[in-house]
Amino acid sequence: MDPIIIALARAAGLDKALAAFPEDVEAAAKQALNNAGAIQVPTDPAAEPWPPMRAGSGL
Amino acid sequence: MTAPHWLSAAEIAQAYAARTLSPVELVTALLARIETLDPKLNAFIRLDADAAMQAARQAEAEITAGRPRGKLHGVPVGIKDIIDVAGLPTTAHSKILVGNIAKADAVVIQKLRQAGAIVMGKLSTHEFAIGGPSFDLPFPPARNPWNRDHHPGGSSSGSGAGVAAGLFPLALGTDTGGSVRNPASACGIVGLKPTYGLVSRRGVFPLSFTLDHVGPMTRTVADNALLLDTIAGHDPADPGSAPTNARHFGRQLDRGVRNLRIGFVRHFHERDLPAHPEVAAALEDVARVLQAEGAQVDTITLPTLTEFAGINRVILCSEAWSIHAKWLRERPGDYGQLARRRLLPGAFMTAGDYVGAQRRRSEVIAAVEDRLRDYDVLLCASSMDPSSRMDDADETARTYPRQARTPFNVTGHPALAMMSGLSRGGLPVSVQFVGRYFDDATVLRVAAAYERATGWHKQKPPIG
Repeated sequence: MDPIIIALARAAGLDKALAAFPEDVEAAAKQALNNAGAIQVPTDPAAEPWPPMRAGSGL
Repeated sequence: MTAPHWLSAAEIAQAYAARTLSPVELVTALLARIETLDPKLNAFIRLDADAAMQAARQAEAEITAGRPRGKLHGVPVGIKDIIDVAGLPTTAHSKILVGNIAKADAVVIQKLRQAGAIVMGKLSTHEFAIGGPSFDLPFPPARNPWNRDHHPGGSSSGSGAGVAAGLFPLALGTDTGGSVRNPASACGIVGLKPTYGLVSRRGVFPLSFTLDHVGPMTRTVADNALLLDTIAGHDPADPGSAPTNARHFGRQLDRGVRNLRIGFVRHFHERDLPAHPEVAAALEDVARVLQAEGAQVDTITLPTLTEFAGINRVILCSEAWSIHAKWLRERPGDYGQLARRRLLPGAFMTAGDYVGAQRRRSEVIAAVEDRLRDYDVLLCASSMDPSSRMDDADETARTYPRQARTPFNVTGHPALAMMSGLSRGGLPVSVQFVGRYFDDATVLRVAAAYERATGWHKQKPPIG
């Protein structure tokens, strides 16, 4: 397994999963990379995330 | 005369009013059917027969005394097992939550009880509403009543299988990436993901806070509107709940589609994820039927399914990780493999990935809103394939993501899936209708017109 994946999994506290299910951890890391790479993040620095912050509502 | 187990909720209400059927007679008949069929379908995790009979007796007494509560009074409903029913376990079909007894009813259950509906029990789901058809969980997976060798879709799998098989006329499901509409598609019933915020999620085990919806699953469009009428409404204690007065969702069911403008998103099933030929042919038939009924149908374009799916997955996995991190760290072996694999990616997503997905989400919402300024309803595929065999894990893994449902979890628009035909193999194929925010009524109106014109809802699975 890629040592970077191992390091990231340990940093996330996944030592037990890494020991018992290394193939699941590796598949998950690759899937995360693929999903994030499929998104065209806006180039406009002012493009805000959804849902927007709305002060004073919702609670 | 229609057998009691195939009556719609609307027909049940009429039969009660005419004194040709009573709640006790109906629940007795359904319990007998469940006893016969559910061992083959596994729709139930927990059948609550005693409580259902007690509720039936109460409903019968009230109706007989001339105190009907409404159209769902004495009507049985099944509940996906991530929704709390007081005193029953909410297991999410997982070893992690076996023994997790709900202390209170979810808001949607409170509303059903106020309406006099009869809760039959808790239904199978994919583990935590994200796994898949799995054989490594504490309960077996639900099966498709059209062919028990095939999966019934999910994650609201027991809801879809049970409604389609006539175990109960109504069910609640939840939908974060298509989990009401997938089983509706696979089982040939009607499943609506309402507008985000229209139905309270309080008391429902979360998967992804900004994508989760509770939705009605039924055999007819009219029943879907009835169930939505009962469960919709503002809940100040649900942060995502919308302060809307939208109601009476069935008010337009008889209006037809004449002069409605419908945008057909062909590229979803033609280019983005080319559909099975029978699914594609059925979608063309849907367009022809709606045109023949008087609608204007034009081809339109939205962002690609690949991009919608990427946004959905990054948001879903990031939010789900924040819920499951402790258990995934301490008890990874207590998850089934599919759920473990689908939840773990959140550990590898960065804050930048999540915020980037939410920023792009604003843009794709704007793109869909732009099209809905010109069109009353969108028409597109739901599943790209009939459901696969349960023993073919590779085919299930290949076909499960081939769908066009996630876009409308990302955007929050109301989206309904229903049967659009039967494949040569005897399995349902489906269509999806999408509407403007809080205009769920027009989505149901189009679905009702299509249902009347085609009668697919009269087809019943060959299960007895």
